Amino acid sequence: MKFSKILLVLAGLMSSGAPNALASQVKVIANWSVRADTVSATDLKRVFLEERNSLADGTHVEPVLGKDGPVHEAFLQRYLEISQDDLQTYYRALVFTGRGSMPKELGSDAEVVAYVARTRGAIGYVSSEASLEGVKTLAIGVPSGSTERKLITRIEPDYPETLKRLNIGGTVRLRVVISAKGNVEECELLGGNPILGESAALAVKKWVYAAGRSRTITEISIQFGGR
Amino acid sequence: MRRQILGLALACFSLGRLAQAQDFKLFNREVEVHGFASQGFVYTNTNNWLTMNSSQGSAAFTDFGFNVSTSVTDKLRVGAQLYDRNLGQLGRYHPSLDWAFADYRFKSWFGVRGGKVKTTVGLYTDTQDEDFLRVFALLPQSVYPTDLRDATIAHLGGDVYGDIFLKHGLGDLYYTAYAGHRSDNAYSGYPYYFASFGAHIANLGGLQYGADLRWKTPLKGVLIGASRTNEDSSAKGTAINPFNPAAGLVPYSEFSKADWTNQFYGQYTVRRLRIDSEYRRYVRDQEIFNGNSESLADVRGWYISGAYRICKRLQIGSYYSRYTITNVVRGPLSAFYPPATDTSLPGNHDYDKVITGRVDLTRFWNAKIEGHFMNGYGSGPYPNGFYTQVNPQGFTPNTDALVVKTSINF
Repeated sequence: MKFSKILLVLAGLMSSGAPNALASQVKVIANWSVRADTVSATDLKRVFLEERNSLADGTHVEPVLGKDGPVHEAFLQRYLEISQDDLQTYYRALVFTGRGSMPKELGSDAEVVAYVARTRGAIGYVSSEASLEGVKTLAIGVPSGSTERKLITRIEPDYPETLKRLNIGGTVRLRVVISAKGNVEECELLGGNPILGESAALAVKKWVYAAGRSRTITEISIQFGGR
Repeated sequence: MRRQILGLALACFSLGRLAQAQDFKLFNREVEVHGFASQGFVYTNTNNWLTMNSSQGSAAFTDFGFNVSTSVTDKLRVGAQLYDRNLGQLGRYHPSLDWAFADYRFKSWFGVRGGKVKTTVGLYTDTQDEDFLRVFALLPQSVYPTDLRDATIAHLGGDVYGDIFLKHGLGDLYYTAYAGHRSDNAYSGYPYYFASFGAHIANLGGLQYGADLRWKTPLKGVLIGASRTNEDSSAKGTAINPFNPAAGLVPYSEFSKADWTNQFYGQYTVRRLRIDSEYRRYVRDQEIFNGNSESLADVRGWYISGAYRICKRLQIGSYYSRYTITNVVRGPLSAFYPPATDTSLPGNHDYDKVITGRVDLTRFWNAKIEGHFMNGYGSGPYPNGFYTQVNPQGFTPNTDALVVKTSINF
């Protein structure tokens, strides 16, 4: 029993090494001229693929890329769903037909933060450990391409007693796939404590949404304990 | 040849260095400078191909481009690209303005471009010169004949375009509608083809308008689309009158009665694999020789291709490309040109099986090796790479070609 408690605590304290958890360690940052505090994953993808150069609120935005590295790879995989090589090819096709530009590419988190801080409309991404002085952090919200689904049945997740007693809490982020009928088909941990995430996912899989026209994907956050 | 290779290596090195410093500021605006260059070598075992003396091995396969662009405001973008090439008897190092336009994007779903604009037809018309964007050294010639690139590459006019993001997870629609004037370079494939009849075309072009609609479907990695182009083109020059060759060169003109292209395409991308397929039908009904006769050409082409990235530096690909042409001449000139409607004859088709490999030597420099195994030489009034001037001995039905190409970009 004691051993299992230790394992629980260790698991709670350590950060996950899984790819999704790595994606959760990416922070999307923006220049303070960007009015929005939240950007949908879909809009973020469109901004970085230069399909749009403004957000829903009309703010002009300009993507900024990091160079090779785990954070860059995680961002491309999680949000753009494209490999580094394919992305470069994509940008070159824009550049050589005159239909777009090559986004600024910077070598380190510090350079990205500095550039975003001084450039109107700039949006970039850095490791969650990077110093974010002079920039704002954008939360990734519900994709604008999906319809907001009304939640009918909500089951509260269990807060594991050991973590609660040790005051280990925080926010867990989940990506949820809702079927047309309203059942939760998939639930993927995007960020937060993996044990709390597992507990949250068990509960969320029992949630029921209102029926819709098609399957939708949304992101939800669940808070464990006070802040 | 050795000097060319040395020159290219030097250019690769210099451009690689330049790649580090491709932007500069002008009036407090970031100006981007980009360029590319490629050099190829083609060897064929029988017929000479793409106007090169390829049966002897030819390196007359060079092109390069250079562009400058900047965002004047958040919504207004301007830029221009110069392009030059030498492909056998075509291009001959006469530079042209590839594109030069102003682009104002009001909203993501509505923008306008004006100037000389690359034409959006199918998956690759607008990027067909930039071979570094794909695995293949040569795109399927049934749909993207490199010798006839001028016919569809750009128009002097305008586009309206936009992206419509569909609700309920139905994907995204991308549209482009355009109108303008197409103008062929005097050193392009069609004037060269005319020269085989002793004709000299001084100018060739006309109105071109059309639209493209593509749908990024809810199925991950699946894109489908359709393009339509209408043209009202004419050509003027001089030619030998076939009824009276002794009279020498006489004024010549032709103009289109109907000239249109339909193209349908699909693309599927999954992880490291990309599969493309396109079908194109091109109908060209011309009043030829000052309205003396009529020539109706019906060109149909399709291909299916696959490209796979084995690792970061290495890709392989293959395609099957199929081109057929029928041509019927009506009027007095039909005495000289009997109907060509049997597409099983090698003169009326070109079936091309291709395998290729690409190595990325650096991020900006690649090399390709490609094998073409062709049946037919489709040498009708809309030629498909085979010309009588460089094949005076006549054609053989089969041609195998080895293409080696390297390109750089920054």
